[in-house]
Amino acid sequence: MNQTLTGARPLLHASLKQDARNIGPWIVLITALSATSVLAYAWVFPDLEDRRELAATLGANPALSLIFGPARDLLTPDGFNAWRAGMLGAFFAALMAIFIVVRNSRAGEDSGQAELLASGVMGRQTRLAVALVMAALASVVLGVFSWLVTVACGGGWVDSLTLSATYTASGLMFAGLAGITAQIGSDARTANSIAVAVLGIAFIVRGYIDASQAGDWAVWLTPFGWLEEVRPASGNNWWPLLLALGLAVVLAAVAMVLSARRDFGLGLIAPRRGPARGGLVASVWGLALRINRGPLISWLIAFAGLGMVFGFLATSVGDILGNSPLVRANATTEAGLIFAFLVTILQMAGIIASVFGVQIVMRIYAEEIDYRVEPVLAGALSRAKYLASNAVLAFAGPAAALLIAGAVIGLIASSAEPGISAGDVLLQALATVPAVWTLIALALATVGANPRVRVAGWLGIVAAFALTLLGPLFKLWDWILGISPLWHVPNVTVASPDWSGLGWVALVALGFTAVAFAGFRRRDVI
Amino acid sequence: MTSAIVVSGLHKSYGSTHALDGLDLEVATGEVHGFLGPNGAGKSTTIRVLLGLLRGDAGDVSLLGGDPWHDAATLHRRLAYVPGDVNLWPNLTGGEVIDLLGRLRGGLNEKKRDDLLRRFDLDPTKKGRTYSKGNRQKVALVAALASDVELLILDEPTSGLDPLMEAIFQEEIAKEKAKGRSVLLSSHILSEAEALADRISIIRTGRVVETGTLDQLRQRTRTTIRAVFADPPRTLDDLTSIHDAQLKDGRFTGTVDNDRLSAAMAELSRHAVTSLTVAPPSLEELFLRQYGNGDAA
Repeated sequence: MNQTLTGARPLLHASLKQDARNIGPWIVLITALSATSVLAYAWVFPDLEDRRELAATLGANPALSLIFGPARDLLTPDGFNAWRAGMLGAFFAALMAIFIVVRNSRAGEDSGQAELLASGVMGRQTRLAVALVMAALASVVLGVFSWLVTVACGGGWVDSLTLSATYTASGLMFAGLAGITAQIGSDARTANSIAVAVLGIAFIVRGYIDASQAGDWAVWLTPFGWLEEVRPASGNNWWPLLLALGLAVVLAAVAMVLSARRDFGLGLIAPRRGPARGGLVASVWGLALRINRGPLISWLIAFAGLGMVFGFLATSVGDILGNSPLVRANATTEAGLIFAFLVTILQMAGIIASVFGVQIVMRIYAEEIDYRVEPVLAGALSRAKYLASNAVLAFAGPAAALLIAGAVIGLIASSAEPGISAGDVLLQALATVPAVWTLIALALATVGANPRVRVAGWLGIVAAFALTLLGPLFKLWDWILGISPLWHVPNVTVASPDWSGLGWVALVALGFTAVAFAGFRRRDVI
Repeated sequence: MTSAIVVSGLHKSYGSTHALDGLDLEVATGEVHGFLGPNGAGKSTTIRVLLGLLRGDAGDVSLLGGDPWHDAATLHRRLAYVPGDVNLWPNLTGGEVIDLLGRLRGGLNEKKRDDLLRRFDLDPTKKGRTYSKGNRQKVALVAALASDVELLILDEPTSGLDPLMEAIFQEEIAKEKAKGRSVLLSSHILSEAEALADRISIIRTGRVVETGTLDQLRQRTRTTIRAVFADPPRTLDDLTSIHDAQLKDGRFTGTVDNDRLSAAMAELSRHAVTSLTVAPPSLEELFLRQYGNGDAA
């Protein structure tokens, strides 16, 4: 074995054993995404008539191709699966791979575990190599497992294999990317943020290209476009997978070279000195702002960018929308069509904004288990004030992000389409805020009252996403769709918008927040 | 005189682990109280209950005359705390953290802040992640000592400090004591406690097993005797007052109860003694004795 990789085998063994329960849920959930589409398809769309209607309505909706990519064939279970679970599965596989690589390489340097390992009989590159191998193994296992389960649920052998192979390819590419960001960032949080930002940008650019039907060549601009060109269940074109594999190998090689040149515990960005006095940070409000400053700035910029993408998309979808009976049913004019599209788009932006809010909420607990809340609470401030300093940011940050996106979308859309008013778009974004707050308040309630169930905060977002975007595909009943707070957001341009649902949603948010504060006052703080 | 801290019969469990098992502790106003015990004995749990971070399952806790759980925020104006494991925010400088913790307590003494930074030789412009363990500890110490408070709660405050800094720490605590401040000093560095503490409590598996001044604790334990005989006796059976008597290579060691000291001397003097040391137990011996002999607490 190569000197630089000494000790890889025992480390891999130990890491896999320890990380398996973190990786397992990802594999199961992504597999479920694929398997359920095959199962549900036969049940929800039993005959050709239903399937034609599906293809004509949802399949032609550009708001959905932003997430799912183009619908090539919705008349077979495998074709439906490739659409519903293809891009989404690839996205989550990429996220899984990023987290595996950073958790097993960079995070160890922050916590000090890696120092113990590095002082043992272990090559300089071993830890990164092991992290990359783990992500690669997880991606392959995901592919095989998803293939077999999907086939068992009624998917075609070859079609399901092709689809599952795109998951593996996505995982491999983004494992390589995370290997690089783990060398650039000066801690695990930064490494994760950079990698996820690249993933998000690649996914949104791919969505924009698909939804605006920008042209055949543009599809090749992102790695997700390559996976689309694999065309599972409608051609099974394997060679773009080789392209993905090639990219994965190159990225991993660059990561290994960078890691060989880097000092342990440091990134390519060197730490700087800072102020000798407290200034802004000398209050608990300033502290909350300061420790979330980086994510706050990044998210606000991201939402301005998202607003631009969605805004330009809105201007180019008018014609495409005209063909969509679903949208046509809700509006009569082209401006009305575009606005109905914007309502959906802003719901999607709302779900993304709630990820940001829940991140801030989860940070409260991360601070606690790092023993950084203890010295703060040893000061003369009440627990309620400490929680409030973070909660205010968790509510205000995503609201600001959503309003920025709404303003940018409004400006761009109104300049191209006179029938759209920028004020209405902003108002629509504002109407989406209470629904976003409900999702954030759910996470706050768990962290405040009982952090052991805090995963419910993330599951809330997953559920809202599934119900808002996937639910209508399955023709679910309204009372189920209504579980998602976003379902209650009215279209502000209709004659008399129904605000009552939103009022209830706001009350639920208030209730969750009250639980958070009552619970945080009563429980033990670590 | 009222006491700064009074704890009686305190219980605290985490799931099936019984961390505190009827703990009693009293820190008088104006005293430095050493709180000694090995790792995992319950020192930090006790301190977290005193800070109102954890709620005790049973028992009474009074801190500066108030209830640490209900009156946490108001009581914390009057105390300062140094954790044993100082975790700083990776992107905040030491200076920012000192000002934050000071301001949260209700303000810092600016002159003391400058003075302490100089004495502890701490650069306040470095970021949290770039400090060594000792320097992180200094950040917490400066933040605590720079505020004028009635009570200092210190949880292994000198872990990671070099001997020079340890000496400065001891001087600073002596100054605080001279001003009439109360100090709860949790430690397992016995020389530190021996040098600073007026009274000492020794904790073991969640309860205090010994408490008192060092002299009182010594009174309760046996004195160690070492002797060299000119003509070593064949048997030690006639030394009835002396426990654990051993003779090895002409050197004799044993321990004796303090009230039997003169009897022991009389027994020893029957033999020709060429060298004799009679030493009261060091804190270390007290400590080891508490922990050494099984469950005899």
